[in-house]
Amino acid sequence: MAIKKHTPKIAFLSPPSSEVPYAIGIPAIVWQVLFFYIPLLIIVFSSILKISDQGSIQGITLAKLTVFFTPTYAKIIGSSILLAVSNAILCLFIAYPIAYFLAFRVKRFKNLFLFLLIVPFWTNFLLHVYAWFFVLEREGFLNTLLRWLGIISEPIHFLNSIFAIMVMMVYYYMPFMLMPIYASLERFDSKLIEASMDLGANWRQTFRRILLPLTSRGVRSGFFLVYIPSFGEFAIPELMGGDKQMFVGSVVSHYILGDQTGSLGAAFTVLSCIILLISAVALYWIIERLLSSKVLNG
Amino acid sequence: MAKQGKLGKTASLLWVAATYLFLYVPILVLLIFSFNTEAFPSPWKGFTLKWYRELFHSIYLWEAFGNSLIVAIFSTLISLTIGVFLIFYAAQGGRIGKFLVLFYGNLVIPETVLAVSLLGFFTLISIPLGLTTLILAHTVLGLGFVIPIVYARFLELDQRLTEASLVLGATQFQTFFKVTLPLLRPTLIATALLIFMISFDDFILSYFCAGSTAQTLSLYILSMLRSGVSPVVNALSALLLFLSSVAVLIFFSIKTRVRIF
Repeated sequence: MAIKKHTPKIAFLSPPSSEVPYAIGIPAIVWQVLFFYIPLLIIVFSSILKISDQGSIQGITLAKLTVFFTPTYAKIIGSSILLAVSNAILCLFIAYPIAYFLAFRVKRFKNLFLFLLIVPFWTNFLLHVYAWFFVLEREGFLNTLLRWLGIISEPIHFLNSIFAIMVMMVYYYMPFMLMPIYASLERFDSKLIEASMDLGANWRQTFRRILLPLTSRGVRSGFFLVYIPSFGEFAIPELMGGDKQMFVGSVVSHYILGDQTGSLGAAFTVLSCIILLISAVALYWIIERLLSSKVLNG
Repeated sequence: MAKQGKLGKTASLLWVAATYLFLYVPILVLLIFSFNTEAFPSPWKGFTLKWYRELFHSIYLWEAFGNSLIVAIFSTLISLTIGVFLIFYAAQGGRIGKFLVLFYGNLVIPETVLAVSLLGFFTLISIPLGLTTLILAHTVLGLGFVIPIVYARFLELDQRLTEASLVLGATQFQTFFKVTLPLLRPTLIATALLIFMISFDDFILSYFCAGSTAQTLSLYILSMLRSGVSPVVNALSALLLFLSSVAVLIFFSIKTRVRIF
């Protein structure tokens, strides 16, 4: 969203100087500082401050952070990054063709298609988890269907697996990828595609040289809209993975809601935020390289 | 339109169909089995509405539903009011462009982090967890949407209209309430609907900031999920899907360019 600097033209018509109720803009700032920035600062401080049993501050320590410098936690953080990246990539592959279809192919029932995409997204996500339980259960829809088709003879355990986690992640996060791509395609002049094809480029070349570079903004924002929340996701792995797989979100919620482990939880939250930031910057760089025309044309 | 080749065209149509099936098969299965006489995992036995009757008689469910409604209504109203105040300030010539960056973080950081830090904050200043803390938390989320969306629309307004109003003798106050605000109305309604639904369906903030007394709908559904599958949840899903369809239809009917994101 490009926010232009607002230059009020009314300024010279009626000088607002004295009558401007400046105070009216303040609640937003106060609220934001009080309920967003201060809580964040508290969590940062509680992860590095050494606090005695009586509650007095005794200095700064990194001990609470270094507790997590073990292979176990490295593995948890690694699997969270892997989960989030694979989720974002899968969402991209599913969402791009749908966005293209919505932007250029459908004419008559466009609103219906959009409506059908948004309704699940505006419905409580736990109900979708429940719906997938129903589909993936031992006696669920998928097993029944596969047995009826004669593909399997014994029911497969779909639940409590990486597969179940992944299905639910893609299901839930796909719209986050779809909407920005759709928005960037909607602004796109489809004549450019025609021009490229008329001038002899094939479909593949057109996609790589015209479509993808011009929608790279949508792809990029979609990628991070999926990547960032999936990194901290804890409900889906817990509900679909049956606690077998540990991810960053599960560790955070475990420590934060645990007895007397709040400050460890805070430390782990801060640590994973730092890693999230670093990984996001690295991914941004990789995506830039991949989308840059040099690589695409090479 | 581009010549994609017959094969490519069929493939892309199949892809779209498969994706919509992926989105809707679970929902349809869920809805169909909300009318089944026998509880899961029994196959289809016969048609009944008894799960819906049970749903409407469940006290806990409606209490949770009411709590979610209260939280969503109040957090929507507060974030919208605060947002309009800020726009009022901007309309008087206040430059809020530089403050805007303050509000970007709300949507950028993972919601889990926001929830965890708010929990730490509420515990530190000893506000008991409950509906109040939930409303406070959801308002933060709402502000992250309201302020960028409404301000962007405000910048697009035709400044000549407000100038005309001022030249013709209206006060700043009158101009804001009779010209600027009506022009912003579709955007405000659409944004209100968006953040209402986000708050109503929110799970992560509720999970951390609700405490043990205030059960919201999400937490109620979670407890039902953990206790096992019951057709009452299917019936509830049908009800909630209906409600969100209505909300999306209203959203669509407001002619505004507010994006779902």
